Amino acid sequence: MRRTYGKILPGMNLGDLLGKLIVVEGTDGAGRTTQIDLLKTWLEQRGHAVLDTGMTRSALAGEGIRRAKEGNNLGRVTQSLFYATDFIDRLENEIAPALRAGFIVLTDRYIYSLMARAIVRGMYAAWIRSIYSVALVPDAVIYLRISVDQLIPRVIFSRGFDYWESGMDVFPGQDMYENFRSYQTALLAEFERLSTEYHFETVDASADVKTVFAELQTKVLRILESDSRRDYVTARRDGLADSPLMETAENWIAAAREVRAKDLDALLRTAAAQVASSNGNGHRVA
Amino acid sequence: MNTGQNLRIGPFEIFYPAEQAMEQHRQREIESFPGTLFVVEGIDGSGKSTQLSLLHKWLEAKGYGVVFSTWNSSPLVKDTTKLGKKKKMLTPATFSLIHATDFADRIERSILPLLKAGAVVLCDRYIYTAFARDVARGMDSQWVRELYGFAMKPTVTFYFRVPLETAIGRLVTARDGFKFYEAGLDIGLSDNPTESFRLFQGRILAEYEKMIPEFGLTVIDATLPVEVQQTQVRQIAKTHLDRAKELRVQP
Repeated sequence: MRRTYGKILPGMNLGDLLGKLIVVEGTDGAGRTTQIDLLKTWLEQRGHAVLDTGMTRSALAGEGIRRAKEGNNLGRVTQSLFYATDFIDRLENEIAPALRAGFIVLTDRYIYSLMARAIVRGMYAAWIRSIYSVALVPDAVIYLRISVDQLIPRVIFSRGFDYWESGMDVFPGQDMYENFRSYQTALLAEFERLSTEYHFETVDASADVKTVFAELQTKVLRILESDSRRDYVTARRDGLADSPLMETAENWIAAAREVRAKDLDALLRTAAAQVASSNGNGHRVA
Repeated sequence: MNTGQNLRIGPFEIFYPAEQAMEQHRQREIESFPGTLFVVEGIDGSGKSTQLSLLHKWLEAKGYGVVFSTWNSSPLVKDTTKLGKKKKMLTPATFSLIHATDFADRIERSILPLLKAGAVVLCDRYIYTAFARDVARGMDSQWVRELYGFAMKPTVTFYFRVPLETAIGRLVTARDGFKFYEAGLDIGLSDNPTESFRLFQGRILAEYEKMIPEFGLTVIDATLPVEVQQTQVRQIAKTHLDRAKELRVQP
């Protein structure tokens, strides 16, 4: 049966969360998004229902966080809690319903990134851990490990340095390169610490996309072989199309499509606003 | 919980979890602030806002730099809260978290700097409101207390204690209808808003009662005449104002 990290949210029935929760963690530029896209396509081809979710994609707080990050007045505690709100909204309204419907949930970052970012920003580790004690323990946490030196060229030649990913709110001074280096070094060190504590499965993300993907496939296949998943696949194969399980799944797919359409719309609006405010450096907003 | 090695306070110097062992530490820290923090708490209809506004006027007349801060008012967060309430998207957990986010923003950008500057800060509702409401909605009481571990302890928290029926009597004559979350309609105690409000506020009242000894709340009998309550409040406030600088606002 599924577990949490200590506390259970009201209304969360751990017994019916049949699906699989797979987390892909790693810093910005480690290749998480690319790998998740590949995994999703591959899993869907194999006949699995897949939900992918990630930070700031909640219907409740996603837009609020994006707006707050555009200014220069988002404090550290506020930031940590805003992200927690976004996470819990997705946990309750996307992740848990999908697991209940037997989906494979691929999440682009989870509580570990949120904890690492908060701790690097000086938040008390016990505090942030207590907040996320209500999170579900995933079936696997795949950590895409990369060094700062390997990371820098990737970031420079793709989107460039982002204000928040360079820890400009953490470190003094205006040197984005130096701050990026210091911030990412601190962040990666925190990930290493979390990796032992939360049993990450580490993958060397400095390798090429294909090699990394092959390793991820192996790990994911191993997870899919466990019991609850097999039960669900059997139910599908046996044509239980009118079972409540399948009905939930279908409703959920429709709802998820709607959310994603809204999300895209919000992103486009943010991007348009960004251009309008003539930031001018052409870098994408995270 | 692994607290020993993580005793890093970081750039945010009053950041502690709500653990017994840290309580003294927190107390010492607040004593280094020259400012004063007065908080009023109580259920809707207890008359706390009236009392706070009278205290506000008195302190202003005495020349203190007084700033008023109300619950749920952060410009950065309130749109999200509004969205969640309007679309009824909030669960007990996200209701709790979005209010904590709002509170954090007010602490970081307003309350903390004001207290450092020596102002008298008046808060209409504080963390105890969150503790009462969130626990009444079914959140774990320890979890909610730890969530607000970054809050500083008020100089005095006035709790306006009033029987449920008195409070409801005041509200029914004063306004029409209860709001969805205010009446606790989200947790399905009753379909009737007035009945749901009654049940929900009853739970909140029970939580406040538990917090009186837990946090050393100063109880004011809110059934007494307004003037009598205000005299008590001012007498208590007076004894805590020696630390507050007189920050006069130039006309």
